[in-house]
Amino acid sequence: MQNLSSSSIEGTLVSLSSVVILLAAFACLGSKLFNRYVAYYGFQSVVLSFACAVVAYTYDSAQLWALAVITFAVKGLAIPLATRSLLLRRLELKRDVALSTGLSTSLIIGALLTTFAYLAIRAQDLPHGLVASSVVPLSTAVVLLGALVMVVRRHTVAQLIGWLITENGVFLGAITLVATFPFIVEAGIFLDLVAAVLIMVVFVSGITRRLAEATSTELRELRG
Amino acid sequence: MIALVALVVLSPLTGAIAVAARCRARGAGVALVAGAIGSFAGSIALAAGIAGRHLQGIGGFLYVDPLAVFFAITISLVVVLAAFGSAAYLRAEEDRGELSSFQVRLYFVFFSVFASGMLGSFFAGNLGLLWVLIEASTLASAALVGLEAKARSLEAAWKYVIISSFGVTIALLATLWLFYAGSALHLTSDERLTWSYLFAHAHALQPGSLRLAFLLAVVGYGTKVGLAPMHTWLPDAHSEAPSPASAMLSAALLNTGMYAVIRFQAIAKMGLGSAYPDHVLLVFGFVTLFVGVIFMVRRGNFKRLFAYSSIEHMGIVAVALGFGGMLGLYGALLQVLNHAIGKAVLFLSTGHFVLGYKTRESSEVRGALGALPLAGGVLVLASLAVAGSPPFGVFLSELTIVRAGFAGPAPLLAGLFLLLVVVGFIALVGTTLSMATGHGPEEPLDPYPRRSGRILAGLPLVGGLGVLALLGLWIPGELNDLLVHAVRAIS
Repeated sequence: MQNLSSSSIEGTLVSLSSVVILLAAFACLGSKLFNRYVAYYGFQSVVLSFACAVVAYTYDSAQLWALAVITFAVKGLAIPLATRSLLLRRLELKRDVALSTGLSTSLIIGALLTTFAYLAIRAQDLPHGLVASSVVPLSTAVVLLGALVMVVRRHTVAQLIGWLITENGVFLGAITLVATFPFIVEAGIFLDLVAAVLIMVVFVSGITRRLAEATSTELRELRG
Repeated sequence: MIALVALVVLSPLTGAIAVAARCRARGAGVALVAGAIGSFAGSIALAAGIAGRHLQGIGGFLYVDPLAVFFAITISLVVVLAAFGSAAYLRAEEDRGELSSFQVRLYFVFFSVFASGMLGSFFAGNLGLLWVLIEASTLASAALVGLEAKARSLEAAWKYVIISSFGVTIALLATLWLFYAGSALHLTSDERLTWSYLFAHAHALQPGSLRLAFLLAVVGYGTKVGLAPMHTWLPDAHSEAPSPASAMLSAALLNTGMYAVIRFQAIAKMGLGSAYPDHVLLVFGFVTLFVGVIFMVRRGNFKRLFAYSSIEHMGIVAVALGFGGMLGLYGALLQVLNHAIGKAVLFLSTGHFVLGYKTRESSEVRGALGALPLAGGVLVLASLAVAGSPPFGVFLSELTIVRAGFAGPAPLLAGLFLLLVVVGFIALVGTTLSMATGHGPEEPLDPYPRRSGRILAGLPLVGGLGVLALLGLWIPGELNDLLVHAVRAIS
């Protein structure tokens, strides 16, 4: 298998993109406005599709080109647009007030998780000198940050964004660690389908005006 | 052989085809029952044909071994039971005007896709394909949970979809790491995801990545199994789905997730030695068992109670896998089969109470034995069976697991296991007994006004309970062979 070395131009571009992707995840974690969540997520996806295109160019892999195009079209454009028009505007969502921890606390936890990701992944004997050894810890951190967004935000739309960030993290890891993974395009399409279902569930329940007004804090009927 | 696999996997789609042919609840129900029976018959024939060997086809994408056949038999039997229940329940709901004909059609389409996706995943030799199929069936089942589109069921559907989507993503990560663990092997990319190659070359996989992959798989697929602490979607989804769909979730979906965990565990055991994978599963198993039992003690919604009992049983299976050895694995598989049948019967019987008493609270159901003699009797017997009382099958499988525990290095764990199972027994049977006895409504209730509905709803209860009693008294030689071969296939 060919590998992307970290000293090549392509390797540097992918490394830089992964840093930007991590920063976008942090920006999302540190924000309180719904349209910012969506904007940061869209930006992150566009950067991811760029990184994917760089890897595709290096390996000359049709599969990865397809993944780059799909990522750009669906995650960069379609999901943010759909979220804006179907959820934010229709349900008049502006400021997210359903936080379980303060912004600064969650940023500190995020920093700890990033450190943890480095410590956990370093042990996995990633080959030195390859771009994967610098990107995979970052991608793991993005996965954890997405999970953190899902934990500290109680609003359904914010949880949706958290999951989408996690997914971006998984794909960032996938394109650098295992670029020849045979199911990568199928997995991408499949998870986009899941995203569509999630958006639909929030939308339908928003239309019935029951779930939308309630944050999941107030969803207390089902417990125990 | 490939034709038989196709029969097993594709037959449940008859329900969807009937809907496409504009059938109503009755027609679609009958078609679904016919398809499910075809699928079950196919998997029995497959067991006879495979006879301990394994078979690989279509570039490694298709893989049939005794473990896959065993799970296919279990799940297709559950599909048969649930198909009968669906035919009766959906028709009654349609007659009462609770569900529109559009909702009924949606139900049958998604039920078919759900069943077919799960059955397909057992024969997926490629772990990437396994992931795709398990997740596709999860998406279909989410539609069943949110079918009634009330606030509560939407809330449950949201919780289900978001938590299991996260599990999906983690399971994908597990698959990626497993793929990476094999990068030193001289295999093509497709082969590096093919179970038989991975299993054969497990010792050559990179241990660090393999360990991570296994852990991520237990968390990712464990979300689907309902292993604590990833179980929180389970009680909500089970209590809000229509009763036959709850039966499918509990008796089929959880086991499908467990199947994936078993496959990953087999590779991890080969590559890392059995200590690490066993300890991981023991920890998750005991935590799950504990959480399930503790929440069963709390009375309330009876469908939630049964859902927690499913969590308990998945904990039992995980503990059995952790005890390991021939006995532990044998017990785990037997427990999967027995629990699947028992829980399917139990959830199908709740359909009678939901329709008859129009409540899901156990405190509002009294005197069920008088008001609904068949369902009430089945409720008591099935809860005794699921809780592990002789002469039913669960008793036998739990006994096997306890023996495996005492034979293992830490007999104290087997004692703890027994204690938790006993608490679970008291909690479950206590509640169902109080539902069955006491002062019920004056006149007998009539959940299924039509005679055909009564028969369709009654058949799986009696049949399932009969099979469960039979399995407690006598395990047919063929089934025993299949179980032994299945255990050999993963060790």
